Order: sequence, then structure tokens, then C-alpha cells
Amino acid sequence: MITSKDYDCNYENKWCPGCGNFQILAAMKEAFAQQQIPPEKLTLISGIGQAGKTPHFLKCNMFHGLHGRALPLATGTKIANNDLTVVVSCGDGDCYGEGGNHFLAAIRRNLDMTLLVHNNQIYGLTKGQASPTSSLGMVTKLQNNGTPSSQFSALAIALAAGAGFVARGLSGEPEHLTELIVKAMNYKGFALVDILQPCVSFNKINTLSWYKERAYKLDADHDPQDLAKAFQLAQEWENSLPIGVLYESAGTPFHERVPNLKVQSLASHKYDGKVMADTLLKKL
Amino acid sequence: MKTDVTLKIAGAAGEGIQTIGDLLSEVCHHSGLFTFSVDDFESRVRGGHNFNLLRISDKEVAAPGNRLDILVCINKDAYDLHKQELRSGGIVIVNADKAGTEDKTRFDIPLKKLAEEAGGKITANTVAAGAVLSMLGTPFSVLADILKKRFAAKGDKIVSLNMAAAQKGFDAAKGLSLDTGFTWEAKKSNIVVLSGAKAAALGALAADCRFFPFYPMSPATGVITNVVSYTKKLPVVVEQAEDEIAAVIMAIGASFAGVRAMTATSGGGFCLMTEGLGLAAMTETPLVILNAQRPGPATGLPTRTGQADLLFSIHASQDDFPRFVFAPGTPVETYETMKRAFHLSEKYQVPAIVLLDQFLADFRMTEVNTLTVDPEIERFYAQNNSGDDDNPYLRYAPAQDGVSPQRLPCSGPGLVRITGNEHDPEGHISENAANRIAMTQKRAAKLPAMIKEMAPPILVNPTAPVFLVGWGSTKGNILEAVERLNAQGIEVGAAVFKDMWPMDRQVVEKALTGKQLIMVEQNASGQLGRLLAQEARISAFDTILKYDGRPFFPDYIVQKAKELVK
Repeated sequence: MITSKDYDCNYENKWCPGCGNFQILAAMKEAFAQQQIPPEKLTLISGIGQAGKTPHFLKCNMFHGLHGRALPLATGTKIANNDLTVVVSCGDGDCYGEGGNHFLAAIRRNLDMTLLVHNNQIYGLTKGQASPTSSLGMVTKLQNNGTPSSQFSALAIALAAGAGFVARGLSGEPEHLTELIVKAMNYKGFALVDILQPCVSFNKINTLSWYKERAYKLDADHDPQDLAKAFQLAQEWENSLPIGVLYESAGTPFHERVPNLKVQSLASHKYDGKVMADTLLKKL
Repeated sequence: MKTDVTLKIAGAAGEGIQTIGDLLSEVCHHSGLFTFSVDDFESRVRGGHNFNLLRISDKEVAAPGNRLDILVCINKDAYDLHKQELRSGGIVIVNADKAGTEDKTRFDIPLKKLAEEAGGKITANTVAAGAVLSMLGTPFSVLADILKKRFAAKGDKIVSLNMAAAQKGFDAAKGLSLDTGFTWEAKKSNIVVLSGAKAAALGALAADCRFFPFYPMSPATGVITNVVSYTKKLPVVVEQAEDEIAAVIMAIGASFAGVRAMTATSGGGFCLMTEGLGLAAMTETPLVILNAQRPGPATGLPTRTGQADLLFSIHASQDDFPRFVFAPGTPVETYETMKRAFHLSEKYQVPAIVLLDQFLADFRMTEVNTLTVDPEIERFYAQNNSGDDDNPYLRYAPAQDGVSPQRLPCSGPGLVRITGNEHDPEGHISENAANRIAMTQKRAAKLPAMIKEMAPPILVNPTAPVFLVGWGSTKGNILEAVERLNAQGIEVGAAVFKDMWPMDRQVVEKALTGKQLIMVEQNASGQLGRLLAQEARISAFDTILKYDGRPFFPDYIVQKAKELVK
């Protein structure tokens, strides 16, 4: 029986005390334990930022790559070996800013993996600049007249790009978040969980209580197959924040669209010198 | 005696110029002749001005010819553009409305009209091929055999249509004979005709590369399109990435999971990949990048050739780290180089860059077929993946030769931890100063063994006082220029590099010291010369540089070398 403790790792955690990441990490471990995935069967891939460090703080296989590039790294890993369970951990700047193009492409490819975006609406590791999800006008040390760009609505954009699983969680609702991560990982295809979290050091507006005052859980009445409704929910922001699975609809994952990935993973093929010689050299 | 004929087929894009060249080459190969075929085209799909330059010889040729024996003009513009390239005694065929001759060298043949008479406008190319072969003295039966083979799959109707068209062209050029001395009996020979692009694709596949993430860019696109037809038979996936950054990072991801992967691009795309190059280096993940060079920073000349990314490839990405850089000179060398690049990249866990250029990617050359496929592929991932809390798997364990055992994620209880941050042996982020020094030294410790893997430059006439020095695709041009200079009594030799980096300083210094060195390169600063000056204490060199986007010709090198030889 695997419990969340089995993912504990003694590498020193370097997040600020009170950071929402701690609760996200706990929810991740709990979600992995609930699915009984042993640490050695789990592969976490991340970009750069405070969220990008996540894989160091639990037991798992990991590739902590470059800023913005976690999704192509995970894409290559999954195309090579679709048998791996791949979870991607990124921040909002990492995934929606630097990695914006990869975010759109990953949704369209629909590889069978889960993306967790630790969204605190601010750049933490670089000490407090506006991120794509910062509210229009948010004042930071760098954007001292307020950020002049409007807010990036990741959920609405993911829906528009054709994502089959779009959810929003809140770090302050760890049990609910655990549930969302489990659902996302069980979805056959690309699953996005945008996780709102406070940044205690740099985001003084969107605090945990700011989120808690507005967040409400989608209940059983919500039909996750209703795309129009999901769009509507994705655009709720200032006064209310729906959390839960906004949209879920079965699609064909990448490895079922590509003939050479349908039956077995690329990694699992044995090299055959004879077939190779016949295929490459005979007709020359 | 060596017989050597050069012909140019010129016209607009979309007029099937390459098709004529390919058909002529096929007929030549059937009779054991050697060809060197190079296309010149603009960055457009229709119109403009294109040509195929085809050299035919009864000996191996590794460079294009430029004195034309035959010029085939599919349109009038082509005639005006190229007539001055004709040697005296050469013949021009111009596609015109009606047959006729203007002077003793120009013959108008109504290719389109003849094609229509034969039964279809689309066979105009076959009419042209028939006319050319008639001039070369090829018996019609040889052409007929090739046409039957070539069009067999398309049915009897198409075969007979093309036969009729070929006959029309053949007859129209009767009396226009070029005394070539070629013999046209069918000859079985162990040859292979490849472009660099196709050879690179085959070499990668032969190395068991299974994943080709790629963003389209001339002149590298041909490498990947050549892979596509093999995906039916081999466990191979080609994926068009959203950009070059994603392409290279996807390759790294696959390599992390144990599948050999490569990407191909040109200079501008390689610029975007430098970040990924650094990631592969820092994480010691095998990676092969092919850079098919084209001239110019930014967009430059997309469909033209150049060799100006040597120093960039050696230095690309921040900080110091070991890497391999190769620059094969012919398609067969490209095949072998790709196989080696995968092997060495995985053996040493370093990135390998293979430099082609538009010229090498696209020209098609007859070579002796030495291509082989290995019965087994030597892989370097450790099989046993044990580990626990007390004895974790150390991805970056200290190692005298710098190479720590690489294991696959999820292949056992050992956790594979990889980060692009500076890391401790376990793969966790570390800012510890002593660790930083140790890790930098560990990565650099691979260099002595890597240098031993590098082949020295090919030396021709090693005792000659003057060397033409080049690298990559200029090989054939340089070797032919040396041969011609020697025939004229000028004592020159050559040094041609294929394994560019890391460089064995002692070997190179020993080979080149005391010679007058003339760098023959397709860039504006003599990049290899500058590298030799830095690495092998070469104090001075002369240059024959060409950076107009067009390939060298042996004639050009011979003429320039004569001016420079002291």
C-alpha cells in the first residue's frame, strides 16, 4: 500500500514559508498515492521557476529542464515511451509566457499526460514581475505604472485550442485539488489543471483569502461536456472563481493518431539488423 | 582516357528540369558511367530561373563541371542567361515554336510540339532527354529500357507515351553529335547515387534513430522528408514541431527516455536550438543536430549554399562544454558520419552536430557503394537500475573519464534525476562551489577520449610545399583542383577535414606546419583558418573564399590557386 509519505524526499525544500506550492506538492503526493503509482514508475517533467523545482521535492524520476520548455521535453519523452506516466509541473510565467507556443501545440497534440500549472499570477523566482496571468494594471517593481497587458485566460484559451480536459484547482483546497489531479491523470489525453495559489512574497493582491472569498466548487449539476458553459465559467474572474473540472470530453490521444505509436511504444521495439538492412539498402 | 561531359538544363521552376537530369543520370548509371548532378534554384515554387548541371564521366567525379558541352534551354531566357558558358564546339538546344538553326551551335527543337505529337504535353521532358542522349551517342534501345523500367508502375499507356516522346526527341537531334567516346553497354557496378539529404536520413535510420522532431527549413527539409517513406517499415516517428526550440527539446526528451532522436535545421533554426544544445550538454543527454548550412545571418539566401556556421557550431550556447562537430564531404561520408554521430553522442553523453550545406544536401553523386547496416547497435544505457534511500542512483557519479552510467527512467528502483541547473551527483540542484568545479571538470574530462575518436584530416601529397585546406562539402572540388594543378606541374597537396571538433592540436599542427596553406572555404573570413590559428598555432594562411551562395567549381580553385602559390 503506497501512501503519500512514500514520496517524501529529504532534499532541502527551498520555497518560502507559506507558499501555496507546499499544498500543491502535498496534493500531488496524495493523488499519486491514491493511484498507487510507485515513485520509480512516475516521471515528473518541469520547467524553470519556483514550480519548476517541484520534482526535486518528492521521490520520482524527473527532468527539470529549461524555462518554458517542459512541454516539448515531456512530448519527446512520451512519444519515445508512451508507457511512462508523465506529469508536468510549471508556473504561469513558465508555461503561459515563455512556453506559450508549446502550450498551444501540446493541447493540439493531445499526448496522454497531465499538466499542472502552479498559477500565482506573478514571477516568484525572479522576484515579483508581472506574469501573463497578472490582472491588468497590477503594480510591481518592474511594472510600476501597472502591467499594461490584459490578463491571459489560460482556461478559455485551452478550451478554444481544443483541450479535452480543463480544470481549475486552488492550493488552499488540497483535497479537492487531489481529486482534480487524479481525474486529470486518468483522462486519456492532454489534461490541464490550472492551480491558483498565493505567492506570499510578491503577490499582495491575490492572496489566499482573496482566492477563498471568490472560489466556489462546481457541483454535480455542472455538465463537463458543455463547452459553451465551460467557456462562460472560464471567463468568470473578478467576483467569483469556479474550481473543478470545467470541461471533459473524450478525444483521441496522440499515440492513437500516429500509426507507429498505436500498438507499442517506440522504446519497446527491438533493433533488427536484418530488417534494417533490407529496408534501407536493398532498393538503393 | 577520362571522358568528361557537362550539360546544363535550364528553365523556370515547375518545368521539370530535375526530371530531365534524373532521367539522363539513370541512363548513364545503367552504362556504368559516373554522374555529378547539382540543381540551382530560387526560393520559389513556380517561375523564376532554375537549372540542373549534370556532369557525366567514365571516372568518378566529385565536383560539378562548369564548361558546358551541352546547354538545354527550356525557355528563351535560359538561352540568354547561359549561352556564354558554352565551350567552343558545344551545342545548345532551345525549346522553340519550330525547328531550325540560327548558327552552327544553336539548334531549335520544338519540345512541346513534339511532345503533343507524341501524345501529351507532359512528356516534353522525355523529348528533351531523348534529344540529349541522341547527341551523346546513346543507342535508343538503352533509353527505351530505362523508360520501361521507370514508368512500368504507371502502366503500359504511360510507357508507350514516353517511348514515343523519347523517339521524337531522339530523331530531332539526329546529326547533332558530340564525340564523347562513351560506351553504352549495360554494366553492373557497385554504385550508389545519393544526395546528402537522403544519405543523412539513411545514416540516422541505420543508427536506429527513431524520432525526428523537426521544424521545416531549407535546405534541411529534404533530410526529414527522406525519412518519411521509411516510417511504413520501421518504428520511426516524424513530428513537425511548433518551432525549432521545441524540435530540439523533444529530441532531448526522447533521448532521456532511451530512444535515439535527432533534429535537422539550417543556421537560423540552429540559433533557436542553442538553448537546447546547452540543456543536452548540462544534463549529459545524447543529442544529434544536423545543420544544413545556407548563407547569411537572419534569413540570408534560403536555397543557396555556404559554410559559415563552423565557428558558430563549435561555440554555440553559453559556457564551455564538450561536443562533437562533423562535416562530411560526400553523401556516402554523410551516411557514415550520421551513424558515428549517434554512436559517439551516446557513448560520451554529449551533443553531436553534423554540418551539411545546401550543396551537399542536394547534389546527387555516383559513389562506390560501401553502405552497411550493423547487425547489432551498441547502446550505452546501463541495464541494471537499482537504488534506494541509502544508495541512490547517482546520475552524475564522479567518473575519471567523465562518463557516468546513464539509466532510463522507470527501468527499476533507481530514480533518474536530471536537471539543467548545476547539480550534485544525484541530479539535485546544487550551488556548492566545490561541486560546481567538480562537475565542470567531470564534463571536460571526456575530452581526451573524444579527441582520440577524431579522424585526422585527409592528406593528399603530404610532402607538397603548398596545401589547399578545406572541410566538408568542398572536398571533391579541392581534390580535383589538386589533381589538375599537379597535371600542370604545380606541386600542391591538400588537407581536408571531416571531423572538425574537438581538434587534435598536435596531429593538425604536425600535418600543416611549414606549408603554405590556402584555405578554400565557402565563407567570408576563412573560419577553419581562424580555428587552426587558434588551436594549432597556424600563423598565416592565404584564402580562396566564395560566399556568393553558389558552390565552388574546380576551375575556379585552380585559377585562384595559381595566383597564390608562391
